[in-house]
Amino acid sequence: MNAARILVVDDTPFNRRLLVRLLEDIGHRTVEAENGRLALEALRADDAEPVDLILLDIEMPEMDGHETLAALKADEALRDIPVIVVTSVDELESVVRCIRTGAADYLPKSVDPEILRARVDASLTQKRLRDTERELSATIERQRSQLARFLSPQVAALVSSADGEALLAGHRREITAMFTDLRNFTSFSETAEPEEVLGFLRAYHAAMGELIVKHEATLEHFAGDGFMTFFNDPVLQPDHAARAIRLALAMRERFAVLSADWRRRGYVLEIGIGIATGYATLGRIGFEGRYDYGAIGNAIILASRLSGDAAAGEILVAARTYAEAEEASGTDLVAEPGGDRTLKGFSRAIPTYVITGRRAEAAGEQVAAEGAAT
Amino acid sequence: MTLDPDAMTRLLDITGGDQGFVDELIDTFLEDTTTQIVDLRSAAASGDTAAIVRPAHSLKSNAANVGATALGELARALEADGRAGEVPDAARRVANLEAEFDRVRDTLLAERAAR
Repeated sequence: MNAARILVVDDTPFNRRLLVRLLEDIGHRTVEAENGRLALEALRADDAEPVDLILLDIEMPEMDGHETLAALKADEALRDIPVIVVTSVDELESVVRCIRTGAADYLPKSVDPEILRARVDASLTQKRLRDTERELSATIERQRSQLARFLSPQVAALVSSADGEALLAGHRREITAMFTDLRNFTSFSETAEPEEVLGFLRAYHAAMGELIVKHEATLEHFAGDGFMTFFNDPVLQPDHAARAIRLALAMRERFAVLSADWRRRGYVLEIGIGIATGYATLGRIGFEGRYDYGAIGNAIILASRLSGDAAAGEILVAARTYAEAEEASGTDLVAEPGGDRTLKGFSRAIPTYVITGRRAEAAGEQVAAEGAAT
Repeated sequence: MTLDPDAMTRLLDITGGDQGFVDELIDTFLEDTTTQIVDLRSAAASGDTAAIVRPAHSLKSNAANVGATALGELARALEADGRAGEVPDAARRVANLEAEFDRVRDTLLAERAAR
């Protein structure tokens, strides 16, 4: 057991001297106080060295053990210092009260050095464990918030959660995948100055990123002008199809503001969004040293193809996604049949819908909500 | 019996046989108890029963430390009555306690002188 700094609070000099001696005999350093008031003063002094443990007498003038203990436990900075109450045999009732107030343990007054050593060691060990635990959870929290800057918040939370490992190892689940990319981005990046392109991308990523977080989508990756997000994993979202469409509408609305600005500068940029629902395998994808949380499945490919097929400013969704969203959100979506699309890699034509908006009343709320968020 | 010899043996035992330190503790006990008796006397004289509790309590625990059983018992009774709010015959009991303390002090000092 490492040396600790122990505060001995007792109004009787005999007891104080004896306790101090016994504690020093087992290698600890001590500080003394004659009563609770002086003890608190010493602990709260600006230049106070931290104390690892307090031995506290109950019956003391000015401020007794009960009052002192209550004051210690009410003080954010002092409440974690373990307190051992030192008492005579006829004070057992007081001991119960002290333990209820937060005392760690108690010692009889005719103190036995072996018992003293055992109780002091036990309390110090407990405190060290608690300190280590607190440091560890602070470290985990720091890592999690650091990770969150690189990963989707959901994935960052998953990595530090209890069932994270199992989910990372891979699982199958129905998701709604969404691809967002820009029309004319290639020609824009060829004609605009690189600084302009970067400036535009920064504003675009910031705006879309904010919406992605707000709508609780999992961002799988973004590259240049494209975002791939999905819903219902790792956090379950029973209304994942409807959520995806709501995010798409919010993105298109926000993008309209951004692109109007750029149109004035002579650049015509349009967003295109494809959404599809289906089963996918999700989990850790990559290689030692660089893993991503990724999704593999037909729904992802389909969402990508639909976004490629979407006209400028269009939200093109697979018929299955539209049906599920309608079920989940009532009938507030306004959509037109998008026809059966023949898409690369799909042998059969895919029935689609084009989402044009939400019904007037609901759409009004949507606009208000988005306005409040900006 | 004025002093329980086991208490002294125990003090020596737990301090690793440090007679010098035990003598210091005894001196501390004598000084402290003298102060408490002064407090008890004035509390008894003024009839302030509540003021009896604290010095009687300290005296009791001090007495137990050195094995002064009879002294401790007198202090314990005063403390208990003080807590109950009525200390009959306070002045005489404090005087008895003082007389017992004189015996304890004489015994302790005689033991020391005999070494």
